[in-house]
Amino acid sequence: MTQDPTPPRDPRDPPFDGPPLSLEDELAAARAEPAPGPDIETVNESLADGLNRCPKCGSTDVRLRGSTEMLVCLFCRHQWQESRVEEEFGLGVGIDDLEGTVIAGGAEEISSDEDVITMTCSGCGADVVVDTAHAMNARCHWCRHTLNVNQRTPNGAVPDAVLPFRLTHEEAVEKIREFASSRRLFAHPRFKKEFVPENVLGVYLPYLVIDARAETAYVGEGEVQTRRWTEKQGDSSVTYYAADVYRVERSVGFTVDDLTIEGAADRASFGSDTTNNIVNTILPFDTKNAVKWNSSYLVGFTSEKRDLDVSDLEPVLEDQLLSIGRSQVHATLGEFDRGVRWEAEKVDVGGSRWVSMYLPVWLYSYYQENTRMLHYIAVNARTGETMGSIPVSQPRLIAAALTVGTVLEGIAGAILVATA
Amino acid sequence: MIGDVVLQVVMATSGDEAPLWLLAAGPAGAVATYWALYRYYRNTDKSHAYERDTLISAQPVQGDREKLRHISRTRDSDIDGDNSDDHRVRVQRLR
Repeated sequence: MTQDPTPPRDPRDPPFDGPPLSLEDELAAARAEPAPGPDIETVNESLADGLNRCPKCGSTDVRLRGSTEMLVCLFCRHQWQESRVEEEFGLGVGIDDLEGTVIAGGAEEISSDEDVITMTCSGCGADVVVDTAHAMNARCHWCRHTLNVNQRTPNGAVPDAVLPFRLTHEEAVEKIREFASSRRLFAHPRFKKEFVPENVLGVYLPYLVIDARAETAYVGEGEVQTRRWTEKQGDSSVTYYAADVYRVERSVGFTVDDLTIEGAADRASFGSDTTNNIVNTILPFDTKNAVKWNSSYLVGFTSEKRDLDVSDLEPVLEDQLLSIGRSQVHATLGEFDRGVRWEAEKVDVGGSRWVSMYLPVWLYSYYQENTRMLHYIAVNARTGETMGSIPVSQPRLIAAALTVGTVLEGIAGAILVATA
Repeated sequence: MIGDVVLQVVMATSGDEAPLWLLAAGPAGAVATYWALYRYYRNTDKSHAYERDTLISAQPVQGDREKLRHISRTRDSDIDGDNSDDHRVRVQRLR
């Protein structure tokens, strides 16, 4: 059996890009409306990519002053701040009327994994490279201007809002030192030797902050005790119970304001092989005070870009709404004194509004080589809440456990001997 | 001192002789000490309490109950599989 050889392609022919469109498709394409914009446009129109100048003197040496939460010009000391997104974009209102999924511009689908962008310095014209996976600013190596990524990037690195650091480096070091010093006795000797809290890093971590309106419903069985009695069986007595079994149904509608979910996949998994739960524990932040995006707030800090989309996190939202609903109905179960076993549940998300934010965390990390575990001590840089994971010395822990066990066993043995 | 108190409690609840289950106190105490210290250092059980720490505005809870059956005699002091406190443990999802 033979096949016709494919005729050689004429290099002058245009490349084949699929069958021709039908006339209707061609007309639709010709009439196509411009692509719709985001549901909430959060681009800071007052800034352009490149130089964020001090409004008073024009210098680009601008950074966050932690003690005041304001931007400060390092040249003329002028201080100012961006406006709160809560009022600017109406994020605090209308949760009761939310319909469907409303996504702010900075939380839109990530369409590129290209992290490195090249900016042209508007001071001298040089090309400067910024790795947006870790930083949103760069210093022009020729004219020393600070360049800022202000416009939206398709890789998820520019959020809708940023919550500035409030705790200073010194305050964070003190918090971490205090946390670790109360856990010295059973800490791993190598951790104690290498513990340098001054190495704590200020990091802006990506989160999605969600307002939602939901209805949840639960079905299960509950039991009410009707009688309790004791029967003598030989030398001992046995307690018996009688109970009525009911089918229990509960439903509750509620709104949540600023539910906060991790926007980076590396931080969003809470398996036992990570200590991500530590960073999760320092939530919540006062997200109502988040301000419009201005990358000058990030000067001197590192940042981690968002790599999860709204579609990835919708199941997480539904899960959290179900948990919130369960906690809301819990207070109505008092009559079932033998307990309730929920067997099925349902959530109907009537509407949700998603805004991406960078939230500030002081992060001290320690890699434990023998267990290959990355331990964190994290400080919420707004509230000061501190949580951490300290590597333990297993021999010391086991010795302490055996000591307590031996003492208790001795007491038990003495009692048995005394009563024999 | 503590031993005397334990002895009195044991004697009051079990007649003349102390029960043999007292011998389990040593291993149980050792395991409890290990886990308490481990959790204090590693905080593996901690997470953000979003059920409590989020601004939630709830409407009144709606509910209903319907009697299914009667248990006339059981030694169980509570329902099997009580999960009313385990808000984050998911059950069958209705669509």
